[in-house]
Amino acid sequence: MKSLQTPKPIFSVSEINEFIKLTLENSPTLSNVTVSGEISNFTNHKSGHLYFTLKDDGAIIKCVMFKSYASSLGFIPQSGMKVCAHGRISVFPRDGQYQFYINSMMPDGIGSLNVAYEMLKNKLDGMGLFDEDKKKPLPKIPMTIGIITSPTGAAIRDMINISKRRFPLAELILFPSLVQGEGAPSQLISGIKYFNENPVDVIIIGRGGGSIEDLWAFNDEQLAYAVFASKIPIVSAVGHETDFTICDYVADRRAPTPSAAAELVTPETDKLKQQYNNIITHLKSSLDFQIKNRREKICAFENSRQLSSPKNQLEDKRMLLIHLSELMQSKMKFICSQKETLFSSNASKLSALNPLNILSRGYGAVYDELGGVLTSVNAISENQTINVKLHDGDIKATVNSITRGKYE
Amino acid sequence: MNKKLTFEQATERLEAIVNEMENGKVTLDKSLELFEEGVSLVKQCNAMLDKAEQKVSMLVKTDDGYETTDFNGENNG
Repeated sequence: MKSLQTPKPIFSVSEINEFIKLTLENSPTLSNVTVSGEISNFTNHKSGHLYFTLKDDGAIIKCVMFKSYASSLGFIPQSGMKVCAHGRISVFPRDGQYQFYINSMMPDGIGSLNVAYEMLKNKLDGMGLFDEDKKKPLPKIPMTIGIITSPTGAAIRDMINISKRRFPLAELILFPSLVQGEGAPSQLISGIKYFNENPVDVIIIGRGGGSIEDLWAFNDEQLAYAVFASKIPIVSAVGHETDFTICDYVADRRAPTPSAAAELVTPETDKLKQQYNNIITHLKSSLDFQIKNRREKICAFENSRQLSSPKNQLEDKRMLLIHLSELMQSKMKFICSQKETLFSSNASKLSALNPLNILSRGYGAVYDELGGVLTSVNAISENQTINVKLHDGDIKATVNSITRGKYE
Repeated sequence: MNKKLTFEQATERLEAIVNEMENGKVTLDKSLELFEEGVSLVKQCNAMLDKAEQKVSMLVKTDDGYETTDFNGENNG
């Protein structure tokens, strides 16, 4: 290392950094350069300057964008966004670090797609294309399923396999369409129109997984309007579970994958059969219920009939008869006792009137010789023989004297 | 009884039968009749499900619209 004796200048740290800075700034390439990369560690400093790094798979570069440039940016940069940035490479001598001084920046690739996507999404959302109350229900049992996808990807094969396994009774009609690239949206739209003119029960529109650019056809604005306008329910199945497209938002249902879409629209044959068995059980119990109901009614009717049966009527009559005869007997008794009372009262009256009874109280009845009753002294003369009847015998007597009017 | 119903018609009819029997205003004779019809419909549906072979067709653009052709997805994988 000491072979060369030519004296070399000794730099101070500041001097060498300054030297590097000049070297870089004098490079025609580095002083006017465009770099594409992904933003990370993005900081929007309160001063208005933007600090971040651009990175790709293998490297990073520190970047700064001063306020004067940042203010004219047409979008809001954020970490993860891919951008194309234009500026110069220079050194910040204090830190001894080279940096990318950016004076203009554009969203790049997915970055710019993302911006467009967000803008369109907000616009359509505002127009009501994503409203839940506009979503159509899927048919319970689809007999025809229109599929709009590529006739060659894995997606169509998955969908055929799944629906064959679950519900082979449904007919699948494939409307072959490009699913990526410029021509894709118009073909997808034709598919939707075709199935609305030649109706199927449900439409599946979609494709298998791919990069965000591959799926871009499903973020087409005109496609969104066509999906929204469809009278037939549409299931959107684009890419993988993590991919969300405009088409997914507008469609009546989103399925995370094409396979899931096929599952979503088809009932499972076994479950269907189970349902039918349940229906039969249900119908049977409904029938049993009806029969039981009828039987109870008949029973109730029978009971009511028994009450008015001839046998019962006879019983009733018999009861009435017994009642009447009892009534009659008691009446009879009453009448008898009444008569008895009357009789005994008459008998005692009669006995009071019995002349013999009077005789027993000390009176006598006087008769002439011929048996005629003498009630007046005028009918009697002195020395006349009279008969006097006392209660226990008769006296024959001769009248000695007569005194008139003694008791008048 | 109707012999040649499509699966769709059969399931629709089945639904109607269930509804009719559930509202309970039908006579017993009618109920029995409906029940028999329901059982036969279920048999038909099950038979159709068992026999079903999936039909997959693809639309091919022609001069005046589209034509359907048989499509076998497996050939195109």
